[in-house]
Amino acid sequence: MVVITGGGGVAVCTCQYSRRLFCGGPTLSIPRTNRTVDSQPALLIGCTTSRRRITHTRTSSSSSSSGGGRRRRMTTSAAATSATETLKKGIAEFYDQSSGVWEDVWGDHMHHGFYEPASDVSLSDHRSAQIRMIEESLRFASLSDDSVQKPKSIVDVGCGIGGSSRYLAKKYGAKAQGITLSPVQAQRAQELASAQGLDANVSFQVADALNQPFPDGQFDLVWSMESGEHMPDKTKFVNELVRVAAPGGTIIVVTWCHRDLSPSEESLLPDEKNLLDKICDAYYLPAWCSTADYVKLLQSHSLEDIKSEDWSQYVAPFWPAVIKSALTWKGITSLLSSGWKTIRGALAMPLMIQGYKKGLIKFAIITCRKPAL
Amino acid sequence: MRLLTHNMLSSNIKGVTNGFPLLIEAVKVVEKEVDFNEDFLKNMFVKVEWKALVEASRTLGYTELPESAEASMLDSDEFLRKFHHALLELHLEDGALVCPETGRKFPVSKGIPNMLLHEDEV
Repeated sequence: MVVITGGGGVAVCTCQYSRRLFCGGPTLSIPRTNRTVDSQPALLIGCTTSRRRITHTRTSSSSSSSGGGRRRRMTTSAAATSATETLKKGIAEFYDQSSGVWEDVWGDHMHHGFYEPASDVSLSDHRSAQIRMIEESLRFASLSDDSVQKPKSIVDVGCGIGGSSRYLAKKYGAKAQGITLSPVQAQRAQELASAQGLDANVSFQVADALNQPFPDGQFDLVWSMESGEHMPDKTKFVNELVRVAAPGGTIIVVTWCHRDLSPSEESLLPDEKNLLDKICDAYYLPAWCSTADYVKLLQSHSLEDIKSEDWSQYVAPFWPAVIKSALTWKGITSLLSSGWKTIRGALAMPLMIQGYKKGLIKFAIITCRKPAL
Repeated sequence: MRLLTHNMLSSNIKGVTNGFPLLIEAVKVVEKEVDFNEDFLKNMFVKVEWKALVEASRTLGYTELPESAEASMLDSDEFLRKFHHALLELHLEDGALVCPETGRKFPVSKGIPNMLLHEDEV
């Protein structure tokens, strides 16, 4: 188990299988009960293998496990809808709880930075790397800075606290709409917009990317920066992106995918699925898909200039940097005062590094254009 | 929520053929001053659904907008100021947006509309 104490210490995992920190044993579980260690308040978190040695009982708290019993008694389609609703609720609550912590430590962009491969980065470089991620994405999509061609209306799908919305609105002098499942994020996004004098240009709504509350063809730029991984129905997600794009508009999706399958493969290997499942639990993600899957979905619509690229090498410093920031005094105290959903998310970070190292997780960009009328 | 935003939102409930514009139930309306930007307004004019804007501004208590408008009116400073006020300075803080076909209410709280659909509306 991992012990994070109020004194700022991080103890070594004492899982029966290994003595490594974050042993990555079968399914991390977070019992809600707090204890004290050396009279400091402490949170005990254990992998399920060591659970038996923790004296307090595990509460059935995770959304994925609590749905399990009910699911078996329901029909498949009702179960699927219920699972989607549970997922959406989980996503909203996760971000309601975690956004403040993230913003405190990392600022208003909730996405990976773009780095030179194999570069040495210090903590201060990350903010500009996150801006670079936005600029490189726009460049990849061949988006124009030209005053006639530049986007005038933008939708930020899965907008977080509005970092991209505000940046893009300012860059292009455009108006931007941001949608998120999290009421806390929408509120914070609007506050930040007001504080930056962008009240007239950007606005935020609580809405579902799978059912965007906009009429067809509204937006010159449809932007999804690291939100695609939360979408339980990739087909519907892509359909909506295409629907709300204006004729001649650009769609940019930057997202976490799993590796493309080889022609002889039907699915990922069992231990690959296992690793992704653990990550899914912590980050409220539905099943992953590959970059090739996204390309295929876009190809099923009549879209132009469909491009994709693997940017995993450009984001490599990110997760180690986030872990480092989480282990600072500020990081730990922020986590401790946030909630167990956020903590569980933090503890899953080494799993992301594992996934990237195995070539299982890919950081992908996929862009295209809707034909002009 | 400004009326500029309202002009872009529609009800996407399953089975609804025309979910635009949403009707407004106003509980709390606030006026917030915004810098006047003539170019922004002129750019917006072509994209705005005028009737929807007029209806919505009346619901929020502002009756100065003309029933119909054309591009030539953009030369009038008086018209621009009224357009500016209705589009950008009236805020629905609390209330609801109502689907014109089903009557379903989407709550607006602290200026943020919640457009999430229920399971049976999808």
